[in-house]
Amino acid sequence: MGILNPTKPPCSSLFSTHFLKPTLLLNSKIVRLKPQIHTLYTTTTTNNRSRLSVTIITCGKLKTSKEIKNKDNKASGKIILSDSAPPVVSEESGGGGGGGNGEKVPVKTGTGALGFLKRLPRKVLAVLSNLPLAIGEMFAIAVLMALGTLIDQGEAPQFYFQKVSRRESFLGILHLEVGSHPRIPLAKVARRWNYLHSADAIRKQEFSDNLPRASVQDLGVILMGAGYEVFLKGPSLYAFKGTGWSVFPYWGDVLGPSGFLSTPTEAFNTEVHVNKFYMDYYDGGDIKQFHTDLSLFDLNGKEVMRKTISVNDPLRYGGITVYQTDWSISALQVRKNDEGPFNLAMAPLKISGDNKLYGTFLPVGDVNSPNVKGISMLARDLQSIVLYDQEGKFVGVRRPNSKLPIDIDGMTIIIEDAIGSSGLELKTDPGVPVVYAGFGALMLTTCLSYLSHSQIWALQDGTAVTVGGKTNRAKGEFQYEINLLLDKVPEIVESSLPKQSDVASG
Amino acid sequence: MIFLTLEHILTHISFSVVSIVILIHFLTLLVNEFVGLYDSSEKGMLTTFFCLTGLLITRWIYSGHLPISDLYESLIFLSWIFSIIHMVPYFKKHKNYLSTITAPSTFFTQGFATWGLLTDMNQSKILVPALQSQWLIMHVSMMVSGYAALLCGSLLSAALLVITFRKVIRIVGKNNNLLNDSFPVDEIQYMMEKRNILKNTFFTSSRNYYRFQLIQQLDHWGFRILSIGFLFLTIGILSGAVWANEAWGSYWNWDPKETWAFITWTIFAIYFHTRTNKNLEGLNSAIVASIGFLIIWICYFGVNLLGIGLHSYGSFTLIS
Repeated sequence: MGILNPTKPPCSSLFSTHFLKPTLLLNSKIVRLKPQIHTLYTTTTTNNRSRLSVTIITCGKLKTSKEIKNKDNKASGKIILSDSAPPVVSEESGGGGGGGNGEKVPVKTGTGALGFLKRLPRKVLAVLSNLPLAIGEMFAIAVLMALGTLIDQGEAPQFYFQKVSRRESFLGILHLEVGSHPRIPLAKVARRWNYLHSADAIRKQEFSDNLPRASVQDLGVILMGAGYEVFLKGPSLYAFKGTGWSVFPYWGDVLGPSGFLSTPTEAFNTEVHVNKFYMDYYDGGDIKQFHTDLSLFDLNGKEVMRKTISVNDPLRYGGITVYQTDWSISALQVRKNDEGPFNLAMAPLKISGDNKLYGTFLPVGDVNSPNVKGISMLARDLQSIVLYDQEGKFVGVRRPNSKLPIDIDGMTIIIEDAIGSSGLELKTDPGVPVVYAGFGALMLTTCLSYLSHSQIWALQDGTAVTVGGKTNRAKGEFQYEINLLLDKVPEIVESSLPKQSDVASG
Repeated sequence: MIFLTLEHILTHISFSVVSIVILIHFLTLLVNEFVGLYDSSEKGMLTTFFCLTGLLITRWIYSGHLPISDLYESLIFLSWIFSIIHMVPYFKKHKNYLSTITAPSTFFTQGFATWGLLTDMNQSKILVPALQSQWLIMHVSMMVSGYAALLCGSLLSAALLVITFRKVIRIVGKNNNLLNDSFPVDEIQYMMEKRNILKNTFFTSSRNYYRFQLIQQLDHWGFRILSIGFLFLTIGILSGAVWANEAWGSYWNWDPKETWAFITWTIFAIYFHTRTNKNLEGLNSAIVASIGFLIIWICYFGVNLLGIGLHSYGSFTLIS
């Protein structure tokens, strides 16, 4: 049976359905039209009003044959009875796929709880697909991101907590932060992993000691002399000694796996070995590209892969990607008066992008005296080393490997080699294919939104036809075009019902 | 050396021609429209286009890579895109209001590139290791094209806003006049005044009709150019993400430039969403697009001024 308007007494509705059933069936079989409205007037004694309009909407719009068969049995055409004037536009309910035009769709009240459950996602969807909400969300995201660029990113969580909780020392901390790591690019923050920055953390080591009135640089030189590989960065020092390392040490970001998708550590039973690190130069002496020759060994010591990587050309093996991200100069091998060779650790003096400057210092005379003097050596790349004497005067430039001696203050210095270090980044990210699929989908939908798509609705209302339409592109032209089309619709002089339905279908 | 001289000549020719075109535009504004002058200004833009093309090609041959690797080159590229946008409707014989936006835009970008802060920046530089990739062409050209188209579109929207609000002010002004003039000295003068007012109202109503049409046109063209720009921006950001995954090891680093590009993208996504809603259409979308104008400049220029993050290639060398 059809859905009844509850305000009406049942007798009249029964009357009207019986009255109109044949036409209803006929309509649903033959015509696939927009809803048609038949209006008739009856008088009832049960109602105080003398006149009442009964509106019956038959729906025959784009039904499948199966649905039409069902309709024959159940006669599920909708019949709405109302006191007021018939509604101008009323879409059919649920099944027809008309996509309700913002109209309230009468929902079948079947089993209560199940129906509610069915309705709930739709409600949620309706809330979520609310356009102003979406726009508001996007605005919020944009504003938050803009704010985010104003706050220093990539600091340790403590930094922010301190900032919030100890407001009085806010400026102090900020000043300290700026002073200690001036403008470290975001990607490099993780690289401080190797260094311990707090004295407490160092004191927690198995051995710890405190040296008053000492310089970390001196310690570095001493450790270097003892055969350690020394890494200096600002006030932090990291040194190691071991046999398992090749001449060219590699350092990089070994970040623990984060994120629920990453389970790489067991799978990657591979040893990464750096065979060679070298740079290409332009004719002007600027660095063109830097390469690292990598070998991957499995647990049995068999080489499984070998590739020379460079920036923009990473190595991929078993879900792991090895990137060439950075380079630096770790040490100079220097011979002094045919003694040595000594390894002098190079400290970065200036790092901004690819303009780097490294320096080291060879102390002359008593190392323990308070104002120790010595020879300074500066290098921009692995090509040439600039030497300055004790007074800071320029002495000369030497290339590593040239074995050409240089005399400074009575000493003969030979620069044996410059040891570069390659900055590698090992990464595993199983999410990349998903993200790329998302990129593809975004591209596709962006392109699809350029396809023009216009919809027109029309409704026969007595002798009048109501036409509505919308489009996603060229709205002004669409209006103009529709106006032109509507001007062509012939005017009906003799009103007759079948003709009207023809117009409505057009 | 020949290349440098050629480059110098081409830069100055293009800038002078654009200046002349702007002058012609102002002349046609002040004096009644001369068809001949309009045509000559179009020819001027064509000359500019060819000069800029020549400039870019010269630079490409000279430096050996696509000349959009720093700020100066990207500015030249931007004005080249502006001149292309200017050309397209001209060849389709479709006069519209885009030309009034693109010509001054070309003038300003070209002027800024030719002199100003960047005199020592226009030496062609070598390509740093991270930029040596095929993705450079795709990413940077798409981004700059996107910026150019979005700038044009948002300027059209800003023009729409100006015209809309100016209308309101005009009407208020007219009402004041009415009040002042509505104290007639005698009957005849009153009648004349009335006739005048009638004439005025008729005139303004027809004028309002034209204004309405102008607003419609601006809206329409703004939407079109913005949708092209949005497509370019999307391609640019996505290709940049793929490239970053090749070079830096992550497709998204939340670097300031990336973040601001995403903000720009979001703002214009909001613009297109407001367009789909009938209640928010028109003025609201124009406001959003005008906000977008500022955001693009922050993204394109402001982040470079700071010179931080991974995209520091385009920053001012004076500061760093």
